[in-house]
Amino acid sequence: MIMIEALRGFAYYKGVPLWRHALVLQWTLQILSGVLVVALVTTFFTNINNTIQDREIPHGFSFLSREYQTPIGQHFLPYESSDSFLYAFGVAATNTIIVSIVGVILATALGIVVGVARISGNWLVSRTSLIYIEVFRNVPLLVQLFFWFYVVLALPPVRQGYVFADKLYINNGGVSLPWPSASNWSAAWAWLAVVLASLLVAMVLHRVLTRREAHTGQSSYPLVSGSVAAVAMSVAGWLFVNAAFGEAPFAISDPAPQGTFGRIAGGFTISGGLMALLTGLVIYTSSFIAEIVRAGIQSVGHGQTEAARSLGLAPMAALRHVTFPQALRVIIPPLISQFLNLTKNSSLAGAIGYSDLANVAKTMTQTAPAVSIYLLLAAAYLAMSLTYSLIGNLYNRSIRLVGN
Amino acid sequence: MTSAMDTPPGVALPPPITERGGVGWAYANLFSNWYNTVLTFIFAALLGLALWFGLSWIVLEADWKVIATLGGRLIIGQYNTEFACPGQNCFWRPQASLLLVSVLLGMAWAVSGDKAARRIAIGVAAVTVAFAFLPYSMDQMGLDVRLLLAANVPAVAAGWVLARYTPLGTVRWMVILGVLFFLVILVLIGGVPGVPGLQPVSTIYWGGLMLNLLLAVTGITLSLPIGIALALGRRSSLPLVKLLCVVFIEVMRGMPLITLLFMSQVLVPLAFPQDFSTNSLFRAGIILTLFSSAYMAENIRGGLQALHPGQVEAARALGLAGWQTTLLISLPQAIRNVIPAIVGQFISLFKDTLLVYIIGMLDVVEFSRAFIQGNAEYLASARELFLFLALVFWIFTYTMSYVSRRVEVHLRVGQR
Repeated sequence: MIMIEALRGFAYYKGVPLWRHALVLQWTLQILSGVLVVALVTTFFTNINNTIQDREIPHGFSFLSREYQTPIGQHFLPYESSDSFLYAFGVAATNTIIVSIVGVILATALGIVVGVARISGNWLVSRTSLIYIEVFRNVPLLVQLFFWFYVVLALPPVRQGYVFADKLYINNGGVSLPWPSASNWSAAWAWLAVVLASLLVAMVLHRVLTRREAHTGQSSYPLVSGSVAAVAMSVAGWLFVNAAFGEAPFAISDPAPQGTFGRIAGGFTISGGLMALLTGLVIYTSSFIAEIVRAGIQSVGHGQTEAARSLGLAPMAALRHVTFPQALRVIIPPLISQFLNLTKNSSLAGAIGYSDLANVAKTMTQTAPAVSIYLLLAAAYLAMSLTYSLIGNLYNRSIRLVGN
Repeated sequence: MTSAMDTPPGVALPPPITERGGVGWAYANLFSNWYNTVLTFIFAALLGLALWFGLSWIVLEADWKVIATLGGRLIIGQYNTEFACPGQNCFWRPQASLLLVSVLLGMAWAVSGDKAARRIAIGVAAVTVAFAFLPYSMDQMGLDVRLLLAANVPAVAAGWVLARYTPLGTVRWMVILGVLFFLVILVLIGGVPGVPGLQPVSTIYWGGLMLNLLLAVTGITLSLPIGIALALGRRSSLPLVKLLCVVFIEVMRGMPLITLLFMSQVLVPLAFPQDFSTNSLFRAGIILTLFSSAYMAENIRGGLQALHPGQVEAARALGLAGWQTTLLISLPQAIRNVIPAIVGQFISLFKDTLLVYIIGMLDVVEFSRAFIQGNAEYLASARELFLFLALVFWIFTYTMSYVSRRVEVHLRVGQR
């Protein structure tokens, strides 16, 4: 009897039975889930470890300094087969980053145009934009990529390809266009430094003049003055570098057919795979961005537009100075997640023959330990995601409502 | 002096021609000012050009023979080949599965009474009948295949009658029958060892549009409850549960699906016993479901966050327990408010089923690509094939968003 009483006393806490006490329940649940997850993860990695040792599968990260010895299709950094795995990984990551940045810029521009067209008062324009959005948003990206890929493949071969003014070559190998090339890299870097400095000066000028305009109410033309200053400084810098180094920092290299097969050399060639990838990614993502832009603009109260119009602003000016800045607050967060989607979707590049990070990593697993490569790959993608999120959050903080 | 009151009553004049009818509409919507007029002309010219070239390419230049050549193989992939189904004709098994789906669609038509359900049921019946009577010879389209296709019309009718005149016509029975039919379909397609006519077909031969649909249906059914659990976990006050949910969601969302799928192919066989891990269909299903539920969790969390805190407070004040508040008050409202986002996630899950190509499964797109790659004479028809696939996927995804709009109408979202 005493035993039972003692047990009862033990089982109660402040008059509540332990099996119904919130704190006890919560902590039991947490400890249980923690133990379960730790057990799962440990089993997973112990098993992998055991299998690796049983089957003598190579592991570790020592392969990174070994020679990769596999060609990479199109690459933006200089690359030889004798380069190391680590460097090849970097080359592939650069390929992905370039597609991501170019794609994000183009998709945003196109998406804003389509999104604004969607709410146009012109019936034909808004209908066309609606069809664009509904078609490209609802068809899987991979199908679109294959379609564009086979459109590019259906272009005539190099020798019968389209040539515009001996500068632009379009054929089934891709698009070749004139591109700046530097013979003297110190001259080129010197000029690029000048350009960077002039951009900084222009930004400062723009800010100072805008403040003055807001302060005095007099037109100070901040955008015009900033652009003129930047261009003038860059041109002066070009002339100065030209005089100092005895040659121009950049020369334009034109593409031209060479050899018996008429292969295009010089200039810059966007390979067929990259062209199909960018076309598909940009069109697909822009249809999502268009919807985000439309929703953002429509979220701004109608009174704002009406007030702007009644103050005498033209429709475009009202959109640019009143509606759009307010819509940006609604647009930015989902826009950032579209940027992330575009970056992750670029991993489909492998299907159409562009060597992006995921594709090269997949090839690497044939000659290097898969587990290590996946850890690297996961880290690389997570780093890219976090960078975009960080930039987006910083920008978002700079435009949010004061006091919020 | 005269005022408006003094003017003699006359015949009410019709509004001027520029304000009414087709002319008024065109004036207001196409030519309201100079730049709208310019835009209208530019767009009309561009659309006209696009239509002209598009139509002339579709009708005159394009060679659609490749679709008839592939025919039924687009739907089932390698399923009915000699390797998959030796010495037998297995095409009737996916077709019988389609009949079960038709019965369900007929039931949904009768139960919901909504025009969306009616249109989908009639649409499926019409398309199957149209294919059954198509005068072209398509791959794998014998008389038996055509008859089974035409049987979808009586199947829809049977479902409608069943739901209208028997006690089965309730949502609860439809859910039970849906789950039951899904299991029957899995058995039908997978086969049972030792049963004549139902010989087992290894999952590596499941393919075509059938594979996309099976993966999508499984993923959609499972990712919603898992997503809800993750969303609740992420909002939980228990720090450890919250941390685990956040880590899971962010890792899943931070990586491309294609990488996760490929990782699963390499890592899972290392981590689990051999026979468990060789089934790539199973692995693809799990990865797709987990990936989708991470996104689903974020959508539902958005709905929960947007919910007015007064709802929960009122529920607690009325004496509802925590779990009752969540299940009966918060979740129903939160989910109703984010239906578009949830259906959007369903659509992207369906689109993501294409990515199983990375682990060597032949879904409809990868099957087509492999066919083009292997048959050089069809290389020139690749554009036609992928345009056709784009149309097929578009019809499915557009139907899904159409259904979501109808569901929203029924739940009167935005009217309360």
